Amino acid sequence: MKILIPIDGSDNGNGAIDYVIASLANQKVWPEIVLINVQWKLASGNIKLFIDPETLNAYYREQGAAALAAARALLDSAGLAYRVQLSIGAPAEAIVQYVQENQVDEIVMSSQGDASLATFILGSVANKVVQLAPLTVTLVKSKNRT
Amino acid sequence: MLEMLSSAQFWVDVFKIVLIDLLLSGDNAMVIALACRNLPAQQRKKGILYGVGGAIILRIVLTFFAVSLLALPYLKLLGSLLLVWIGIKLLLPDDEHAEGNIRAETQLWAAVKTIIVADFVMSLDNVLGVAAAAHGNFWLLVFGLLVSIPMIAWSSQLVLKLIDRFPWVIQAGGALLGYVAGEMLVSEDLIKPVLGAHPALHWLLPLLGAVLVVALGKILSARQKKGPVAIDLADELVTANEQNKRGNT
Repeated sequence: MKILIPIDGSDNGNGAIDYVIASLANQKVWPEIVLINVQWKLASGNIKLFIDPETLNAYYREQGAAALAAARALLDSAGLAYRVQLSIGAPAEAIVQYVQENQVDEIVMSSQGDASLATFILGSVANKVVQLAPLTVTLVKSKNRT
Repeated sequence: MLEMLSSAQFWVDVFKIVLIDLLLSGDNAMVIALACRNLPAQQRKKGILYGVGGAIILRIVLTFFAVSLLALPYLKLLGSLLLVWIGIKLLLPDDEHAEGNIRAETQLWAAVKTIIVADFVMSLDNVLGVAAAAHGNFWLLVFGLLVSIPMIAWSSQLVLKLIDRFPWVIQAGGALLGYVAGEMLVSEDLIKPVLGAHPALHWLLPLLGAVLVVALGKILSARQKKGPVAIDLADELVTANEQNKRGNT
């Protein structure tokens, strides 16, 4: 059993970690947990013309590590093994691509991570993942986070 | 100036300028932040400040320069061709192999230089688009500048999100650039005699411009090989800490 947990770094988004820890606590075998963070691909032709790829990748890594830190801390303190994946692209599409390339059994994610006005108008990543992903997606309501 | 506000055409122009600014501004703030990344911490703030300041001044100078250039004969023809090209470029997917010969700058002035050169190149699209959409109206031009300046200073992923959610926005942007290219061509003195004989060209040319950009964009992007939707950057395995592993507690 392999569970993919998309993490956007928001407090709401980390609710999915709490849910996985709490709801799977009674299981005999721990599932394989993969945290994925997707950084928006910023490198259009213009940026690539003036910024070297190492600097750009270092920037992505830094942003990704910052987004994943809280989620990792939650898993660490629960003493769980996990895998960390950082992808560059559009979030929903990158998540779906990971699912297609790796044998993932289920996605668990917060129904709404970053709760900005833009997300409210443009729709959440979760909506799009549900629409695109060919597998079970569990949406965790974020209000329950303690 | 006030009677201008009550004409429908004015608000259509305002909308055009906002869309052009939105689609052709994005990268500046990113370049500024990334160019200053490798500077020592105490110089980074300075670098960003100089970079943003220089970029804004350059944008203003370029705008007024472009407007006075466009008043010369033949240059509107050239400008409209450029606009068609900018529109097509907007519709094409990123070229994965386009990489400049660049290195990370660790000197303040080298970083500022990178920012200014980058802004010069990236501003040309925006400045030409706004100048075309403003068609000589001074207030529209100033408005276009005012809208684009915050976008230099504060990068936002809003545009990326907008395009991800509504992919047609980018098609609309391409069509709009083709349209203003046609409008610019109509105002070229060189073709005045032709326009006198065929008044229908006044609306036909902008329309043709829009269709041309969208069609060429479709054809060329179909030819280009599609890259993966996402790139993996890091994959890391964290094993459970033995002491607090589940079951021991």
